[in-house]
Amino acid sequence: MHEATMSFKARAEEALANPTLKIAIDRTTGTAERKRAVAMTQFPQFDAARERGKRIKDHVIANLDHYLLEFERNAIASGAKVHWARTAEEASQIVVALCKQAGAKRVTRVKSMLGEEIGLPHALDEAGIERVETDLAEHIVQLGGDRPSHIVWPSMHRTREQVSEMFKRLHRAPHQEETIEAMVDSARRELRDKFLTADVAISGANFLLADTGATCTVTNEGNAELTTTPPRVHIVTAGIEKLVPSMGHAIAMLRLLVRSATGADVTQYTTFHCGPKQPGDRDGPEEFHIVLVDNGRTRMLREGMKEMLRCIRCGACMNHCVVFRQLGGHVYGGTYPGPMGAVLTPVFDGLEKSRDLPHACTMNGKCQEVCPVAIPLPTLLRGWRDRSWREGLEPSAVRFGLGIHTFVASRPRLYRLGTAIAIRVMRLFSRGGVIKGMPGLGAWTAYREFPAPAKRTFMEMYKDQEKGQ
Amino acid sequence: MSARDTILNAVRGGLGNTAVDPAAVRREADALLQDLPSIRPPLLADGLVDAFIARVTSPKVAATAECIGSASALPAAVGRYLEARGLPAVVALQPAAALQSLDWAGFETRDRVAPDETIAIGFARWGIAETGSLVFHSDAETPILANFLPLHHLVMVRADTILPFLDDYAAATTGQRPPRNVNIVTGASGTTDIEGSLVLGAHGPRYLHVVIVDEQYDSPNQRASP
Repeated sequence: MHEATMSFKARAEEALANPTLKIAIDRTTGTAERKRAVAMTQFPQFDAARERGKRIKDHVIANLDHYLLEFERNAIASGAKVHWARTAEEASQIVVALCKQAGAKRVTRVKSMLGEEIGLPHALDEAGIERVETDLAEHIVQLGGDRPSHIVWPSMHRTREQVSEMFKRLHRAPHQEETIEAMVDSARRELRDKFLTADVAISGANFLLADTGATCTVTNEGNAELTTTPPRVHIVTAGIEKLVPSMGHAIAMLRLLVRSATGADVTQYTTFHCGPKQPGDRDGPEEFHIVLVDNGRTRMLREGMKEMLRCIRCGACMNHCVVFRQLGGHVYGGTYPGPMGAVLTPVFDGLEKSRDLPHACTMNGKCQEVCPVAIPLPTLLRGWRDRSWREGLEPSAVRFGLGIHTFVASRPRLYRLGTAIAIRVMRLFSRGGVIKGMPGLGAWTAYREFPAPAKRTFMEMYKDQEKGQ
Repeated sequence: MSARDTILNAVRGGLGNTAVDPAAVRREADALLQDLPSIRPPLLADGLVDAFIARVTSPKVAATAECIGSASALPAAVGRYLEARGLPAVVALQPAAALQSLDWAGFETRDRVAPDETIAIGFARWGIAETGSLVFHSDAETPILANFLPLHHLVMVRADTILPFLDDYAAATTGQRPPRNVNIVTGASGTTDIEGSLVLGAHGPRYLHVVIVDEQYDSPNQRASP
């Protein structure tokens, strides 16, 4: 399903050679980074709010069994049916079975990363159920027949020119004018009747509220409400880590989530869904199902990765990641790209298949710095590197190279001699403080410059200083 | 073992928890919501109505707002809005008593919102000054689709129902049976899905106009402070 036949390196090379992709990534991540920065200047309480958000999530995770049971009890009392799924397959099977039970021909879907994680689009397609993605970006992904490349902007890899071409080819009444406004309008026309004629609606949840059994979605387009109101059946799929004690806690988290994701203060639509249609209600589904999904989360709890369960899927880590901004999301090969994806994908796909991901990181720490719940992403990535080494998953060339490094680095005289020679050779290739090309450095300098080293090594300078020079 | 029991056992195994004291968990959860002013942004103005309007009309929310002195002035305000934009006097009214009891003479009114409705008039239960949001509860007076189908959404909200912060809304409804849907609406529908640039009118309304019924309106200096 994922471009599994290609290695990470091959995918990365392909992405780097694609000039349109780089333009598309820069346009979206650049805007996101700027807007977040502005939002931070208007929210001086961010640091305190972030610390609180971290503590709220830690509190929930430390009492997860308690909150799961409280949520289940209250959700059932509200008229919801609660299902539990151990794995991605089990979760997809439950959803597909519910759709079949409802006799569903057409299903509308609200973008949800968990839905992607459990392979729901694929499972619905396999079951022969017409799937309509209603989020604009997911609609673009569906038309393009590819995969989401970002968790907030799934079609970030497409330029406006590409979107325009697809809409003109595939929409019933496409736009005439070449503006983004006209393209959005074209999608509005295309999807309107589909919202109203679907048999089942499927959404995710940004939060699950333990004290009422309600689920919360945040969207800007209004597609979540248009999706989940008309059909007879509404199914929510959510990871078990999405719990918060109450609406008050959800609000504290929302302030962090939205600013970190898009730089807005709140999304246009924040909606709490609690049970099916109530007596007297003018609209709403007759059946409301919630599927609680584990899929590796309890394993993360057991295997020292519980900090990652704080993640609220804002995407700030990838917007600020130097590697993601060169490569885009598809290269990561899993559901979740960027730093958080590099931590999560080995959990879902196994480290053996994804050992390259924790290595695709410069350890500059930017992801942890912008994370709204302060997840130590570099530490978690280093944990995977460590494990990959211990489990013998590193290729022999890496083991051999590190062996040489260990040999030299543990012999100070040899190490100092080596570095003294190396920097002098490298300086021969530097112009204006940077190296634009050098034998053996090609893989680096093809896409960026290498900073020229100092004239003398640290130890040379240190010794001079010791001598009082 | 059922999936439910497997997951719950795995959670307990992962946590190394034995017995949980619900009262202690509750106390800890409550403590996490102490000292709220230190973890939320300040209001944009001193008066609640002023702070609310400042947020509604800020570039980020990008809606429009006006004050009227009493609900009976709403049809005239709607008329002015439509006339200024050259729109016909055809409006779908949310089936709320607060709207239907008004005199809509001169308008063609509908009690259902069509899929391609141009103008719908709504009534929000609360306003939130922190974010410039409107809060709706699904019920017999509030079809949820009415908030999402029209192109222009004109919403009346009473000044005395404007709350300072989102937390105040949560507090005001704690312990009540939640409606099927709580919609917190902040500005018109928008998307940034094509190259990150904001476009309004994605699937929901393209225009949101908020009309605040403020009995102090004729003497703006006397507006209530939070």
